[in-house]
Amino acid sequence: MHSDRASLGLRIAAVAGLAFLHLPILLIFLYAFTTEERTYAFPPPGLTTQWFAVAWSRPDIWDALLLSLQVAAVATVLAMILGTLVAAAMSRARFFGREQISLLVLLPIALPGVITGIALRSAFGIMDIPFSTWTIILGHATFCIVIVYNNAVARFRRLSGGVMEASADLGANAFQTFRYVLLPNLGTALLAGGMLAFALSFDEVIVTTFTAGQQATLPIWMLEELIRPRQRPVTNVVAMVVFAATFLPILIAYYLTRNGQELAGSGK
Amino acid sequence: MTAAVEFQSVSRHFGPVKAVDSVDLTIAEGAFFAMLGPSGSGKTTCLRLISGFETPTGGAIRIFGEDVSATPPHLRNVNTVFQDYALFPHMNVRDNVAYGLMVKGMGRAARLARAEEMLALVKLDGYGDRKPAQLSGGQRQRVALARALVNEPRVLLLDEPLGALDLKLREAMQDELKALQHRLGITFIFVTHDQHEALSMADSLAVFNEGRIAQIGTPAEIYDRPATRFVADFVGSSNVLPPDLTRALGGPAQWASLRPENTRLAASGPVTGTVTALRYLGSGTRVVLDLGGTEVAALLPAGQPLPEPGAALSIAFDPAALHVMGDAA
Repeated sequence: MHSDRASLGLRIAAVAGLAFLHLPILLIFLYAFTTEERTYAFPPPGLTTQWFAVAWSRPDIWDALLLSLQVAAVATVLAMILGTLVAAAMSRARFFGREQISLLVLLPIALPGVITGIALRSAFGIMDIPFSTWTIILGHATFCIVIVYNNAVARFRRLSGGVMEASADLGANAFQTFRYVLLPNLGTALLAGGMLAFALSFDEVIVTTFTAGQQATLPIWMLEELIRPRQRPVTNVVAMVVFAATFLPILIAYYLTRNGQELAGSGK
Repeated sequence: MTAAVEFQSVSRHFGPVKAVDSVDLTIAEGAFFAMLGPSGSGKTTCLRLISGFETPTGGAIRIFGEDVSATPPHLRNVNTVFQDYALFPHMNVRDNVAYGLMVKGMGRAARLARAEEMLALVKLDGYGDRKPAQLSGGQRQRVALARALVNEPRVLLLDEPLGALDLKLREAMQDELKALQHRLGITFIFVTHDQHEALSMADSLAVFNEGRIAQIGTPAEIYDRPATRFVADFVGSSNVLPPDLTRALGGPAQWASLRPENTRLAASGPVTGTVTALRYLGSGTRVVLDLGGTEVAALLPAGQPLPEPGAALSIAFDPAALHVMGDAA
């Protein structure tokens, strides 16, 4: 008899694989509540919520969090503007070297972060640009642009050029066409791209290490904190914050683009 | 009476490519006009010159007497049914139809009521809440039609309007478009590469070839008296006879057109050839003969005995059916 259910072995393998991927994340949450502050002994000797209060009252965490939010927000806005413009140019115009430029735009995400980091660091050095919040933002924008571009270019491609002409044909001026036709079709893709870019920027470590100078974003702060065995569970509390700040945007982006496919895949 | 659309030696060149080359054209108000031609013949570019998505590189275009060469598409009182319909995927059918009224600033209640009227006109009442993706090809086409008509254009352009529909639906839509045009009295201009469509729907048509108009006339004129070899061949796949063959068959020493349906097979005649191909068409069979290097087709009605491939035969026809053309290509 034919069965739609997977075999037992396959199901066990799938569950084991998912457990391997996600149990460590649960452990991070668990250790945020442990009473032992120097080692991660299992099982935790006791449970407490005191670390949330401790984390709340430490200014270094607030500084790092604010810096991370600031960097992610500005890098995302930059990426959304530039990424959309590049996508529009790539999908609406034909010019010499278009394919090559498309490859160049995608390159930052294909390159190892170490390479991007070193390249930016030496470029900043040669140009005598001191490390600041802006150097971190520039570093993050390199890959955030790609994320937004990828989302936008796929949507542009699905949106048949005919609908823009149809809008003009029916009497709409350029602004009306943008407002009523282009934006509704592009909106969710841009929002999704922006969310993903924000999440990527928020937990970026490698490029940041090379471009941050003395400042610490939240992930950098966590890395430094793990080396010092003092109030370790505070790091776990912060990890939960990073988790929420990156996971939620990605989840929202996922649902946005899923609906978007139904929306834009209906041109013909 | 002012012509609905008038082209005065209009050209549209893309670099060295002459998509439209010095075209003169007058389309009367209220006409159902077809632009017929193979792909790349310039017919679609002509349509886009009327809608304003192309600007002429030479000549003048007038719509109801007004020179529109510098008027952008959204300010022309001309609407288009696009080949792929180009419905707005994110709007429901009613909002699609009402779009032209919305951008003009008409109030919501008024424009939606008007959209319902237009949907009733194209027999889609009750479909207003659906999204374009939930409609069949034929229904999308009606939506595109309603959307283009809502602005009450004086000229409606249709770009290969029936190209994406299956045969049965296409024939039904041909009759419907014709009836609709009759009822509204609007000038319809449609582009097609399908000669049957052009001949059956249009009051008059222009046959395009390589950016120029090869012939303008009524369907009967074009079909019975093709002006050039190209028109004879493209419209109705006529037999195009070179001058020496025309003379051998009893005509003048000029290019001539002979319709396959007017051609019969004969056991002997002034020129004999061999049967090279037989094509069964259901209502008849198309028999191709090689007459001294020229392929000549004869359409045999169903039920007639068929020759064997390779048989030696000649052709016969009523001398009145032979249409002599000029030497023009």
